[in-house]
Amino acid sequence: MADLQHLPYADSAAFGEPDDPPPAQAPTPAAFDLERARVLLAAQLVVDGHNTLGQQLDHTHWQDLMYGSVLLDTDIPRIRAGGVGAQFWSLHTGPDATGDSAVSATLDRIDAVTTLIASCPEALRLVTGADEMAEARDSGRIASLLGPVAGAALADSLGTLRAYHALGVRSATVAGAHWTATGLTPFGESVIREMNRLGVLVDLSGAAEETMDRVLAVTSAPVILSRSAARVLTDHPGNVSDDILRRLRANRGVCMVSFAPGQVCHDDQPASLRDVADHVEHVRALAGPESVGLAGSYGTAVDAPHTIGLEDASCYPNLIAELLHRDWSEADIAALTWGNAARVVREAKAPH
Amino acid sequence: MSPVPEVRGSLAEARALLADFPVVDGHNDLPWALREHAGYDLDRLDVAADQTGRLHTDLPRLRSGGVGAQFWSVYVRSDMAGDDAVSATLEQIDCVDRLLARHPAELAPALTADDMEAARAAGRIASLKGAEGGHSINSSLATLRALHTLGVRYMTLTHNDNIPWADSATDEPGVGGLSAFGREVVREMNRLGMLVDLSHVAATTMRDALDTSEAPVIFSHSSARAVCDHPRNIPDGILERLPANGGVAMATFVPKFVLPAAVEWTRRADENMRAHGLHHLDTSARAMAVHAAFEAAEPRPTATAATVADHLDHMREAAGIAHIGIGGDFDGTAFTPSDLADVAGYPNLIAELLDRRWSRTDIAMLTWQNAVRVLRDAESVARASTRPPSTATLASLDG
Repeated sequence: MADLQHLPYADSAAFGEPDDPPPAQAPTPAAFDLERARVLLAAQLVVDGHNTLGQQLDHTHWQDLMYGSVLLDTDIPRIRAGGVGAQFWSLHTGPDATGDSAVSATLDRIDAVTTLIASCPEALRLVTGADEMAEARDSGRIASLLGPVAGAALADSLGTLRAYHALGVRSATVAGAHWTATGLTPFGESVIREMNRLGVLVDLSGAAEETMDRVLAVTSAPVILSRSAARVLTDHPGNVSDDILRRLRANRGVCMVSFAPGQVCHDDQPASLRDVADHVEHVRALAGPESVGLAGSYGTAVDAPHTIGLEDASCYPNLIAELLHRDWSEADIAALTWGNAARVVREAKAPH
Repeated sequence: MSPVPEVRGSLAEARALLADFPVVDGHNDLPWALREHAGYDLDRLDVAADQTGRLHTDLPRLRSGGVGAQFWSVYVRSDMAGDDAVSATLEQIDCVDRLLARHPAELAPALTADDMEAARAAGRIASLKGAEGGHSINSSLATLRALHTLGVRYMTLTHNDNIPWADSATDEPGVGGLSAFGREVVREMNRLGMLVDLSHVAATTMRDALDTSEAPVIFSHSSARAVCDHPRNIPDGILERLPANGGVAMATFVPKFVLPAAVEWTRRADENMRAHGLHHLDTSARAMAVHAAFEAAEPRPTATAATVADHLDHMREAAGIAHIGIGGDFDGTAFTPSDLADVAGYPNLIAELLDRRWSRTDIAMLTWQNAVRVLRDAESVARASTRPPSTATLASLDG
């Protein structure tokens, strides 16, 4: 089983039963590139920006995640096989949470994720800063960062923001907060400054262009886009414009490119890892090699739509192999996988 | 008006006693007062300075009152519900944390009985947090756990209104005490080491909580119903169960709960507030002015330290010396007894008890030891617990 999960595309025999039809446009990175990708990932693991496993935890036992889940695209064996060394666990509450319970629903997700982390101490470790991230990685644990919380869950309250921070949350989505409805209100500016002061990363994914523009003017810390691809390639509301990507250079922020099929390819075509690679290359070209990262956007059911070649959390080596094939330098790949995100986590906490 | 407290010989002895065994006070609403009167701007109402006339509580008066540990209430109004209540509670917690960060030499953050003892040894005021009402957790055990992580060490099960899983003393019977989910909340609090506070709850809820709780309970600010028949006070039948449970009833000073004449006066004053379109617990400037006008027309019956001592005498008889404490409710009430007017007043109460022939040991148990023991016992129950975090919901248990 583990072999299947490790190298689904290295060998065409790994595609399943013989009578399964071959998947459309199946990318088959050269075995040589895959091998190099694995070697590189062993040295510089992935910091992944977005995983919604937290929404699945009410009906998922931690033991299934520890030893392998047949229902979900994320579990510990696959995260390890994928070379993920640090994971942002999204605290968004999904469509069930009604407007007047976003805070307690978020506390519920924090509780569920921290309980999972506490249940799997050999695999996961809660971290709140860059040093702890590296320590967890070096001791073979998947560094687990809490975030982002949803904008609506901030409840227009700095006290609530500080409570999330005290509970270990280190990033917050601004989209969905009242104070981003028209760019950024004066109260919104004070929220951004308070996030800077606390060391909570401002996550711009999903925010309006005007809001991103205002936040970049106000923030004194690098921002992240926890799950965005390039809008010029795929027009999706979660994606980011070229203008904002160019401004990430000066901000030293990171755009973590989403693997979600709808964000990397138009609906009428199947998305493949080559599309994701196109987005990653575009973001690197505009924002610079120090401002690009990865966001698998996993944490859903295995039968939910996935990008071909990046079906589950074990698939990062496929993407790295594709980038090597496109002549990415090892330094750029190291920055993409670990370096940039780790730097942003560190600089979010540094004095401004 | 208020008589000037007479200077008595026992006052010096009271102060000396409090220097060794300071007061653990079960309930102080300073955080809410800071919200209402200063919008949480700690510069606007600086408790390092004397705030007499504006607040019942400030650091100089806590010192002169002999307070060694304070449960700061992170109360939010019981007409708040859902996210509003949760978010407002998080803001109250944040206010206490900011207060502690601002005054590190005077206030020591405390989460455990050991922390309380360390603070006493260092001459700082151990500062704990208590949530006042189950509405603060929005029927979510995860939210309860978040409050615990944020340092909350007791939760009063209700405030003045019923909640879906527990009945309040000052509301109509609802679920008839604790619902199945309510009992699960109590068990989860036991598992966490968060004290179950039975002030404000209906007698049926007190009974159900005592039947359910493995850990000692507290009454953070309630007096004896046999002395003054008010639903906020504790019936003898419940006080008599405290020795078996190990809990502590912390007598409150609020005149409208402890003095029978004040109960009746307050009933009329509340009617007057409602006639002016105000909530009877409103503490805004306008509400206070309405109150003041009423008081000018109808002189307010005055409670004293002796009134509170009457309650403590009775509670001691009913529950035993090991099961009583003090919970003044300062800054949570418009009026206070004449010689317990603010947090500097505790020595007057201790002097009164000394005059009533309470021994030094009795008083040390009342002021310090019982409350610290109860938190320590709750910690022991939590440590021994083998339960996993509960995933029960209101819907799953109460349907």
